[in-house]
Amino acid sequence: MKAKSKLPNLDTVTTINEDGSRFNIHPADVRGRFTRWRRIAALLLIGVYILLPWIPVNGYPAVFLDVLHRRFHLFGITLAAQDLWLLFFFLSGMAFLLFYITAFLGRVWCGWACPQTVFLEHVFRRIERFIEGDAPARRKLDAAPMTPPKLFKRVLKHGIFLILATIIAHIFLSFFISIPQLWEWIRTSPVEHWKAFFFIIITTLLLYGNFAWFREQLCIVICPYGRFQSALIDDDTLNVAYDYGRGNPPGSVKNPEAGDCIDCRRCVQVCPTGIDIRDGVQLECIGCALCIDACDEVMEKMNYPKGLIRYTTENELEGKTSKLLRPRTFGYGAVLILMISAVIFTIATRVPAKMDVLRDRGALFSFNGEGRVENSYTVKIQNMSEVPQTFSLSVDGLEDMRILTDTTVTVSSGENLSLPTVVDVPPEALVDTNNDIRFYAESQPDSLIKLETESRFVGPRPR
Amino acid sequence: MSDPKNNQDDHLRPHVYDGIQEYDNRLPNWWLWTFYGAVILSVIYWFSFYDAQIMESDTTRIDEAMAKVEEARLAAIGEISNDTLWQMSRNPGFVAAGEAIFKEKCVACHGPDLKAGPGLAGVNLVDDEWKWGNQPISVYSVVTNGSPDKMSGMQSWVNELGPQKVSQVVAFVLSHHTEQEMADATTLNPPINLKTPPVAK
Repeated sequence: MKAKSKLPNLDTVTTINEDGSRFNIHPADVRGRFTRWRRIAALLLIGVYILLPWIPVNGYPAVFLDVLHRRFHLFGITLAAQDLWLLFFFLSGMAFLLFYITAFLGRVWCGWACPQTVFLEHVFRRIERFIEGDAPARRKLDAAPMTPPKLFKRVLKHGIFLILATIIAHIFLSFFISIPQLWEWIRTSPVEHWKAFFFIIITTLLLYGNFAWFREQLCIVICPYGRFQSALIDDDTLNVAYDYGRGNPPGSVKNPEAGDCIDCRRCVQVCPTGIDIRDGVQLECIGCALCIDACDEVMEKMNYPKGLIRYTTENELEGKTSKLLRPRTFGYGAVLILMISAVIFTIATRVPAKMDVLRDRGALFSFNGEGRVENSYTVKIQNMSEVPQTFSLSVDGLEDMRILTDTTVTVSSGENLSLPTVVDVPPEALVDTNNDIRFYAESQPDSLIKLETESRFVGPRPR
Repeated sequence: MSDPKNNQDDHLRPHVYDGIQEYDNRLPNWWLWTFYGAVILSVIYWFSFYDAQIMESDTTRIDEAMAKVEEARLAAIGEISNDTLWQMSRNPGFVAAGEAIFKEKCVACHGPDLKAGPGLAGVNLVDDEWKWGNQPISVYSVVTNGSPDKMSGMQSWVNELGPQKVSQVVAFVLSHHTEQEMADATTLNPPINLKTPPVAK
């Protein structure tokens, strides 16, 4: 029992029928300033998504999450797996940035910048429109029996969708695998890298299913941001809204009782989530502003002022003034600044190297030719920065203590170097059989990185 | 404007919380199918991980990883004592390495089952009698420095194997015993100790 058209209401979700089956939305074409600006924004964003792994910053791609080597390159900063705790501040910062923007601008993210909307509205729906025609033609095609022309259109559409899904999956993978490696994998047999191949297959199928069929269900049922947005907005938040004071009651132009809304239902026809914006702000609304363009077009034809549906706040619709500064924006702003400061502080003060000293097992100590007591160690220095570092090694804790082996060592980027090190001390300098000593490593020539670690020196009982 | 109420008050469920009521709308079918899929998957998952154990469980993988960490820690230990030798004998990596060394170097005299026996020069390593002491450190001392019986006893192995491999092979021998059992065993001579430190390679 699939209805051909439906009246949106506040009690049910338009895209889900009473028996649980899906009601497919075919949004009508719309033209206008927001549609144009949104398309420009989407093309810019797609460009950014594609180019980020290609632009080199400090010798690495601008964004390269190298999971294989557990090194994460972000705009010139290289983080290792040990820096994972930074993610807490980064992710909380991103969350509060979203809260902050939502408090002012509502779901502007969903309508303008979310990859789901960007790819669905500006890539996949455009192709569907090109192959299957406008909204009435698409509805007719849906209802028509399977004939060779329909089969051709469907195979063509889904074929292109699959190719696009594969391309997007590769763009996605290029954030995690270097471009030369990805190119190598593309040209060689899948058997040699079956895990990556499997990942691409799964990602492609998920993307294809999402953009070809699942679509607005993701925003309405799955997306958590959509679920808690109603807790983030208030009467001063800018939303896509219908001016009920001016428009109600909707009715024909000839009716002297009717408001400015002529009940043409253009706003309902263009909505990609199938709601009637005139029922007020609803959880399905992704703030895409298509209904604004649709309504403005009608208002222009009617010689009415534009903006019956517009970006506005609940308070303005009630005739009050909206405040930008309010406890909510201060609160979100304060936490946001706190999190951003934490990220900047931790990244700025991060020491991009690590030193460990292991006393060699087996031998406790020995005497060398000069009659001094010798202990041997393995010094491990890990360089987590993106450039090679030269360290000078020193030791402290007992009088006249010397390092007999190399004290200057160069560690290449990402290397964890093991350096066999021998330390000696005159027997009379020993305080105990077991002495606490400290190893120091300083980066050369600038001494920007200073490392130190504890160890012990074992010798004969002092006389 | 469309009718904000869809005449489905009969779908209204009876409970009220803070004045909020809910409609008894059907779940989307795709949602139900993911739910049924999850139910089926949980059965397959339970069967393959917990019942048939076709798949390696996380517990096994963590235990293996922890054993490797423990092995690295034991390998880095500077001092050899009864306690650390017992710890090594309970580490699969150490014991496996020790077994490989044993099969290469020790079987000639101690036999593949560690029982020595007629025609073999070594002593039985799995009975309840020890020649030079019923303590791990005694066994370690004999392997490192050789038997105190310089005429017919075992040679010193430390120069050939190095301290690391010596502790591995001792860990393998000890893996055939428990602490209690070894403490209760008899010793033919007073237990010896590692009097002089092993010489570094």
